[in-house]
Parts: sequence; C-alpha cells; structure tokens
Amino acid sequence: MIPVSFDYQKVKTVDEAIAALSNDNSKILAGGHSLLPAMKLRLSQPSKLVDIAAIASLKGIKEEDGEIVIGAGATHADIAGDKLIKSKLPFFAEGASMIGDVQVRNHGTIGGSLAHADPAADWPALVLAADAAIEVQGSNGKRRIKATDFFTGLFSTSLQDNEIIVAIRIPVPAQGTKTSYQKFSQPASRFAIVGCAVMRFPDGKTNIAFTGVSDNAFRDSNAEAVVSGKVISNDSIAAAAKAAVQSVNILSDHYASEEYRKHLAKVYLKKALQAVA
Amino acid sequence: MIVEGQIHGGVAQGVGQALFEGAEYDENGQLTNASYMDYCMPRADDFPMFETGSQVTPCPHNPLGVKGAGEAGTIGSPPAVVNAVLDALWSGGHKVKDIRMPLTSERVWRAMQ
Repeated sequence: MIPVSFDYQKVKTVDEAIAALSNDNSKILAGGHSLLPAMKLRLSQPSKLVDIAAIASLKGIKEEDGEIVIGAGATHADIAGDKLIKSKLPFFAEGASMIGDVQVRNHGTIGGSLAHADPAADWPALVLAADAAIEVQGSNGKRRIKATDFFTGLFSTSLQDNEIIVAIRIPVPAQGTKTSYQKFSQPASRFAIVGCAVMRFPDGKTNIAFTGVSDNAFRDSNAEAVVSGKVISNDSIAAAAKAAVQSVNILSDHYASEEYRKHLAKVYLKKALQAVA
Repeated sequence: MIVEGQIHGGVAQGVGQALFEGAEYDENGQLTNASYMDYCMPRADDFPMFETGSQVTPCPHNPLGVKGAGEAGTIGSPPAVVNAVLDALWSGGHKVKDIRMPLTSERVWRAMQ
C-alpha cells in the first residue's frame, strides 16, 4: 500500500503542464482518486507526477457559442451542483451525484475520470450520450476528439502521451430534450456494474450509451435505431431492450456474470427510456 | 448505551454477512475481492434507524451478574434477512427454499429464474 518513490511538480498553466510531461514516465495528477489507489497497489509506477489541480483555466462550467463547456478540472461535486448543468444537462448532474462517495465527488474530476477510462466509470456513458467533444491540448496546440472516437479499449483512449484534456464541450440541447442516467452500482466501490445514459431530442433522435458492460463505454446503435424518431411505448422499449448489447464483448466478474450483466443492461435501458418517454 | 451500540454493530455485521460479505476466489485460488473497492462491508447508509429492546436478567454464574451482549445482534440478523428474502420470493411465486449467503443481487436473480 506504499507507492514507489516519484518526483512531484505542481504547475500553474496548461503550457507548463505539457512541458513537464515531456519527461518519459510522467503522469498527470488531478483529483488523484483513480491514480493514487493504483499507485499504492503499484499497478501504476510513474516516475513523476505533474499536479494540475491549481490550473485556474481548467476550472469552471459555462455556456459559450452554443456549447456547454465543462473545464476538465471541474469536480464531480461541482457538476452535480451546477445550475446550468441542472437545467440543460440534468443527467450530468444526476450521474455526477452517483459517483463514489462524498470525498471522491469533492476531489475527483471529470477530466481525470475520462483520461483514466475505467470501463465502469460513469462519465464515459454520459459524454457519449451527450454528443460531447473532448478538447485536448498538447505541444502541437489544441484539438477536439469526438467522444465516440475517444474511448478505444480497457483504460485506453485516443489521447497522445503529451496531451491533456482541457475541457468537455457539449452542444446545448434543444428545448424539450430529455435525458436520463440509470445506474446499477457495485455495492462496495459504487462503480457502475451497468450504467445507461439516454438523451432524447425533441425530433425523436435518441442517443443511448452504456458503461460497465464492456471493455469501454459505447454507443448502442442497434438500440438507438429501434427508438430514434419513433414514439416511446412499451412495445418500442421492449424492442430496444431486445436489440441492445448484442454485438459487444460483455464483462464478467465475481459480482456480476456475463449473463447477469447483459440482463441488467436491458433492464437499465428500459428504465432510462421510460424516464425520457 | 454500550449495549445498544453493541447490538447495532452486531446487527450490521450480520446483515453484511447475509447480503454482501464473502471471500471470492477464481479458479487459480486468487482472491478476487481483496480490497474494499471489491469487498463490500455494510455502511451506515445501508441501514435504517435501529430500535432495540432487551429482557435483562442477571447472570447467575459470576459475582457481578454480567454477560456479553454484542453477539446477540450478529446471531439474529442473518437468518432474519435471509428468511425475509425467501419469504418475499415465495410469496412472489418463486418456490425457493435456500440461497447461499451472501445474497447478492445475481444470486437472488438466479433463484428467480
């Protein structure tokens, strides 16, 4: 439970952070609620930690040019309690309030969670369902990665070595958009055994994303095709549940087998669709 | 106060055994829930408020008349919880007489299939 020794550097700006990352085995420290436990178990052994918690430009949540912009350094608690999020992206507030416990929500950040890409984390499903873009910055400047291109596997993302997430950008949903996040928690860690995020636009377009089910969070296009543009009824909900989680490798662990997880995914999709009907 | 606290803790420990706690090993003998991220202990927010009652009699076998109290809660709570689950399943039409502890959600689901 004691990490190997490491250097520590606290930075004040994103540019400083990127420069500090040029050292090979360095890691970014944000809230530390995923990285530090992994280091204590020696699953992660970085030679240097670059602490970005004091970078003021990574904080804050605002609306800008038709987008909701969440700073990568916003904590889960910041998002859960934010007025703009509660009114325009209510499932982000609901999801944030279900993460871990109070200590985790007060320190853990959305950027840290996305970069870590735990297969059972809540944020990946939410950003996927919200058509978000992940804005990252590296030595070559800024770029945007669509959420659907961001998660590439178990704890893997399309982030390059010297890039850091600076913001999450979500197009402001049209008036009348409905959202829901339904989660079945592992009782010990409160990570998602299954998390289902649904965003339904006024024109009937429906985004459905799952976390906890497979190696990485994903959009379920088969289930989306069943309900998009159609009335949500008991029949269409049942058909969507039938179509869901068909073409993915489903995780299995001591708490939930593959068969049970698949069952839960369908049940939690039904709950989410009922909530946006 | 001490006795009530002991009973509360004992009940919680027993409910934990009934619903959450169990050492899980994979086929190679590796413990798969070796940290509190995986091994679930009951926590305060898993419980309602407790009301306890006691029938107090002095113990005849020692000069002070004292006896232990904490285990009473631990002994009573697992069968109370397991029987409550079995009763709920039975009255829901599932003819189940036994489920192995801990009664995780998957074990209860399988019992219903």
